[in-house]
Amino acid sequence: MDSRNSIDHHHHNDSISGVSSRWSLSSKDPPSEKSLSAIWDRSMLSMSQKEIKDEDARLVYINDAERTNERFDFTGNSIKTAKYSVFTFLPRNLFEQFHRVAYVYFLVIAVLNQLPQLAVFGRGASIMPLAFVLLVSAIKDAYEDFRRHRSDRVENNRLALVFEEGRFREKQWKYIRVGEVVKVVSNQTLPCDMVLLATSDPTGVVYVQTTNLDGESNLKTRYAKQETLQKAADLETFNGFIKCEKPNRNIYGGCELKNTEWALGVVVYAGGETKAMLNNSGAPSKRSRLETRMNLEIILLSLFLIALCTTAAATAAVWLRRHRDDLDTILFYRRKDYSERPGGKNHNYYGWGWEIFFTFFMAVIVYQIMIPISLYISMELVRIGQAYFMTRDDQMYDESSNSSFQCRALNINEDLGQIKYLFSDKTGTLTDNKMEFQSACIGGVDYSDWKSADSEHGGYSIEVDGNILKPKMRVRVDPELLELTKDGYATKEAKRANEFFLSLAACNTIVPIVTNTSDPNVKLVDYQGESPDEQALVYAAAAYGFLLIERTSGHIVINVRGEMQRYNVLGLHEFDSDRKRMSVILGCPDTVMDESYGDVIEETKKQLHAYSSDGLRTLVVGMRKLNDSEFEQWHSSFEAASTALIGRAGLLRKVAGNIETNLRIVGATAIEDKLQRGVPEAIESLRIAGIKVWVLTGDKQETAISIGFSSRLLTRNMRQIVINSNSLDSCRRSLEEANASIESNDESVALIIDGTSLIYVLDSDLEDVLFQVACKCSAILCCRVAPFQKAGIVALVKNRTSDMTLAIGDGANDVSMIQMADVGVGISGQEGRQAVMASDFAMGQFRFLVPLLLVHGHWNYQRMGYMILYNFYRNAVFVLILFWYVLFTCYTLTTAITEWSSVLYSVIYTSVPTIIIGILDKDLGRRTLLNHPQLYGVGQRGEGYSTTLFWYMMFDTIWQSAAIFFIPLFAYWGSTIDTSSLGDLWTIAAVVVVNLHLAMDIIRWNWITHAAIWGSIVAACICVIVIDVIPTLPGYWAIFEVTSTWMFWFCLLAIVVTSLLPRFAIKYLGEYYRPSDVRIAREAEKLGTFIEPQGTEIEMNQIGDPPRR
Amino acid sequence: MSSGGGGSSEPSGVKKTSKRPKYSRFTQQELPACKPILTPSWVILTFLVAGVVFIPLGVICLFASQGVVEIVDRYDTDCVPESSRANKVAYIQSEGNKMCNRTITVTKTMKHPIYVYYQLENYYQNHRRYVKSRNDAQLRSPREENDVQTCAPEDNVAGHPIVPCGLVAWSLFNDTYQFSRNSEKLPVNKKDISWKSDRDSKFGKNVYPKNFQSGAPIGGGTLDPKKPLSEQEDLIVWMRTAALPIFRKLYGKIETDLNAGDTIMVLLENNYNTYSFNGEKKLVLSTTSWLGGRNDFLGVAYLTVGSICLFLAVTFSVLYLVKPRQLGDPSYLSWNRSPGG
Repeated sequence: MDSRNSIDHHHHNDSISGVSSRWSLSSKDPPSEKSLSAIWDRSMLSMSQKEIKDEDARLVYINDAERTNERFDFTGNSIKTAKYSVFTFLPRNLFEQFHRVAYVYFLVIAVLNQLPQLAVFGRGASIMPLAFVLLVSAIKDAYEDFRRHRSDRVENNRLALVFEEGRFREKQWKYIRVGEVVKVVSNQTLPCDMVLLATSDPTGVVYVQTTNLDGESNLKTRYAKQETLQKAADLETFNGFIKCEKPNRNIYGGCELKNTEWALGVVVYAGGETKAMLNNSGAPSKRSRLETRMNLEIILLSLFLIALCTTAAATAAVWLRRHRDDLDTILFYRRKDYSERPGGKNHNYYGWGWEIFFTFFMAVIVYQIMIPISLYISMELVRIGQAYFMTRDDQMYDESSNSSFQCRALNINEDLGQIKYLFSDKTGTLTDNKMEFQSACIGGVDYSDWKSADSEHGGYSIEVDGNILKPKMRVRVDPELLELTKDGYATKEAKRANEFFLSLAACNTIVPIVTNTSDPNVKLVDYQGESPDEQALVYAAAAYGFLLIERTSGHIVINVRGEMQRYNVLGLHEFDSDRKRMSVILGCPDTVMDESYGDVIEETKKQLHAYSSDGLRTLVVGMRKLNDSEFEQWHSSFEAASTALIGRAGLLRKVAGNIETNLRIVGATAIEDKLQRGVPEAIESLRIAGIKVWVLTGDKQETAISIGFSSRLLTRNMRQIVINSNSLDSCRRSLEEANASIESNDESVALIIDGTSLIYVLDSDLEDVLFQVACKCSAILCCRVAPFQKAGIVALVKNRTSDMTLAIGDGANDVSMIQMADVGVGISGQEGRQAVMASDFAMGQFRFLVPLLLVHGHWNYQRMGYMILYNFYRNAVFVLILFWYVLFTCYTLTTAITEWSSVLYSVIYTSVPTIIIGILDKDLGRRTLLNHPQLYGVGQRGEGYSTTLFWYMMFDTIWQSAAIFFIPLFAYWGSTIDTSSLGDLWTIAAVVVVNLHLAMDIIRWNWITHAAIWGSIVAACICVIVIDVIPTLPGYWAIFEVTSTWMFWFCLLAIVVTSLLPRFAIKYLGEYYRPSDVRIAREAEKLGTFIEPQGTEIEMNQIGDPPRR
Repeated sequence: MSSGGGGSSEPSGVKKTSKRPKYSRFTQQELPACKPILTPSWVILTFLVAGVVFIPLGVICLFASQGVVEIVDRYDTDCVPESSRANKVAYIQSEGNKMCNRTITVTKTMKHPIYVYYQLENYYQNHRRYVKSRNDAQLRSPREENDVQTCAPEDNVAGHPIVPCGLVAWSLFNDTYQFSRNSEKLPVNKKDISWKSDRDSKFGKNVYPKNFQSGAPIGGGTLDPKKPLSEQEDLIVWMRTAALPIFRKLYGKIETDLNAGDTIMVLLENNYNTYSFNGEKKLVLSTTSWLGGRNDFLGVAYLTVGSICLFLAVTFSVLYLVKPRQLGDPSYLSWNRSPGG
């Protein structure tokens, strides 16, 4: 047993008041890393101004807004989430858009083109692509901002009661000022951050719901200061001032008042300085691996571009040099302009050196699309489309929390297909975090036999003042134990049982809420609290007759089998994850305590071990009696600590630590943390997919291991290596031993390491050893991990490998890990939304990881990888066609293809199909991918995009561009063909070839795909026709003239077949003789040769599955 | 999930709107789709068909090309008198008679119409400076007469705009040919040698040449200022700038048949200066086929590609017979080949 888990009960006969004795009750909760304490830090709001430095402080004069705002100009309460106004929209939106490198590239090219010497394209054609992109983005931004304006307006015009001129008057939110006193009534939302002055509750307690802030629906308690409670009764004369910190993120606002009639508060932070606004930061920004990887090829393409430009410039230089004496007489050059003066002046000629320079930059302008800038925009569109389908996937919809999949980060979709390491939280992620009271061990005796009594015991209820009170949730009870508690204090065992349940009912932060039911006589008691463990314990106590009825900051009322008992709460040490326990100090009648029990530590230890081996979460309950001097000593230090301004939390912890000693064991509880549906199957699938699963949990080793087995992370045939060391040396020794022992064979091994060992491992040279060991293990279980270690473990792996990491968790303690990993997934479950807020993707259940990674991840990766390669190819083909022509135009960058076609090529002619394919094409069906998780390896090995594929694509590009260019060149050599006609032929040939190339690689043809491919070709033809019916362009009517000859069609056919022939043949040879897994699976899918495994993997994804067990 | 009813998941009276995505085959990415895969039979069949189609097409193309009778006569050097050949540029720029007689023998019967072309080589009508030096708006409408800024260095003379402006028009080809057979004149039809669309819409019917070739230096031919541009067909042909540095332009048509062995006398006026950049000038008489002029390339290309396709079809068939693979056999999957991997 863990000796730290103890509970205690103590007794004291006398006190100064003489009315009641004081005893303390504490229960400690080690296994969960959940915080039971509120985050609200009251230290900042002390009425007594002490330590805050003047320059850091803000002075708020209560009820005196004039004076408050006199010296400091605090922000008003009107909020503004909208970014733009009508006037600032244009400059500011443009400014923001040009933060993207792609747009700057566009802009630089467009500006270069405006120089008269470099003007390759006309004004319109050169600016159009940039203008188009800017316009689309601007419209999108404007629409979003319009919606924000609208919601701001609604928010700002809401009404609140503000104390003015002797009474409360309604005032719009936007006019509320710092220093004013606001009255909030039940179910109203707090308009801004306030310091609580008084509430309807005489003790000054108030319950708030922070759903708007962090999504947590549990009630949280806040307390008014005793001093203000009394004074606030007379608001007219009430004054004083608050000295507090400058705005930071620790103060609340925007939450909703619940269960309290009214509350008075003074405004300290308003408008943009409230917590809600300060916390309102956007989704995290990460870059996808594929995109980073792609940059290498972008650099290669840039070099290629420079090479082309240099070639053009150099050849032009040679020609000019060779003909330097003839330039005036060459009919098609004619350097001199004689129209102004007789001798003539050079027209558009600046000397040999400058001409080379200009040629180079003109070449950059002409070949600009070699760097596929449009790719970045296409990628964004594709990701939006992919995200749409991911969120719409009804196999990732969680019924119980009514949440569908959320894509919070829009730029790492394809990373989901390359995950190699998975770090998972346990509680709330693998398990439901719905706690169920399973067993109790009281005085060393285990009570867990509820089966026999299940049906007849319909739940506990009690009649109070003619009303029947019932706990909202029923808990199975052990009849023997129930009988025992009914004996009251008759026997030792009974006494202990009563103490046990009294402790459970008292030592928590649960708020009981009595709600009406359809039957006016029956009322339900609902226990609201931040910790599901506490809820389970209180419900359990209620089932055994200890019904918690009321809790205020000063006292609790417990109905013990019909008898109302009131206990003064003298102090409460909230749970924290360092102490891993909580305690409460109660004053109570001195009849009950008895010190004469025997010691039950050994028996309890044994029982605890048994519980945790079953995967249950255990708590130990203990109590102790405080005598006068102990109490006084504690009381004074507690008071001092709770009013301390600096390091209050630490001081309180110390006080708690001092009093939480010498506890007498009463018993222990066991709570089952149920596995989520489909978790074992999901983990198995992920493991087969080659993903290394690390489970990080705060649980004890036994609990962790047993959860490991039940979730199939561990299997019986695995060898377990347990690292459980207390010092650096022993840690090193065991790790090295482990490392050596696995090297000898390749059995499957599981590594279990605990938080203490990790303290020595993290940030030391042992990290490397651990990583080596972990690489050889098929499962890793880290238990007793502190929240801060989680990120450390992720970093340990992330820094040592280029493989992708994914972290999944549901609680605030997982935030660091989620942000550290390449991909962070948040479970939107029981524990609030901090994890979701920090995550890139959020979903309802752990098992959705399987469709997310294996299906969507795989698809997204394959699609994106192909799309990048295709876009490189598509643009390079076009650039090369332009380049080849330069060799036949005296190296002068004439383009036969019209400038409008050059511009529209990547915007209209070829862009839609690649985007559609990037969103819709599926290389394999969902069923196949789920049945054969091994197919996920494609992404892990990076087979969808690699430098080899890039070069293969580039050689193909050269061949295809050559075929497109040279076939008509030779066919029309020495003929009457004019520039425009040949240009039109090249344009159409390029569009057809490029689209057919894509068509050849499409795996699934549905009507959308057909429409996109054939539609693009038709659209391109229409555009070419439209361009050619403008009589003021040189190419007037060329398309009609050229298509009326047979030559055109013969060339086109020859081009299409010749350019795609090598690719077709090689594709076939590769796919048939060296098939990839995907290809085989595709054949099998089509021909039905897969033997469907008796697949649990499929089953788990069916929607109407009955719950396990 | 407690035993008995009334768990916490029970909806407490409030009806929540379900966020469950609406099911449709589209959103679930399950649209009916065709999933073609490259099976050997399909691939072999494709190559076979391609080969079978391409070889006859190649033969047809070759036949068409071979059926064209073409006579090419290069005259740029020969039409400069021996004495002037050392400095051809000076000769061509000098005043005086530059008539030149050429004799052409018809080797094969030529059916009418026989197209008369001039062919220029090493002449970059697609040079960037050159193609940009024109203004299409000005050609079309007299109102745009002053729109000459893109035409430099041939934009205006002494402040008056040139119509048609620009280097392209300025360098108008101006060699002329007169044909006779057995001292009987062979008329050359110079009507309809340009695109109808150009005459109708691109070159204005009320746009007349102005200030054309009136300043030094003279680049090429002159235009009749009385004739509107839409009737100046030589100019219209010339203004369709050639795509390639070796190009032909239609000069006219001879509307009678020529017989094998006929000797054609050409009286040629050698005006056009291609000597300063070693340009070549050729006179071409040619019939045409449905496919165009004489050019074997396309036929050869079709035959080559067709043969390659057939070859590949045969090779792939043999490969398939020698080393077949069971399609979709799961035992080929990497994890089935090496267990545990």
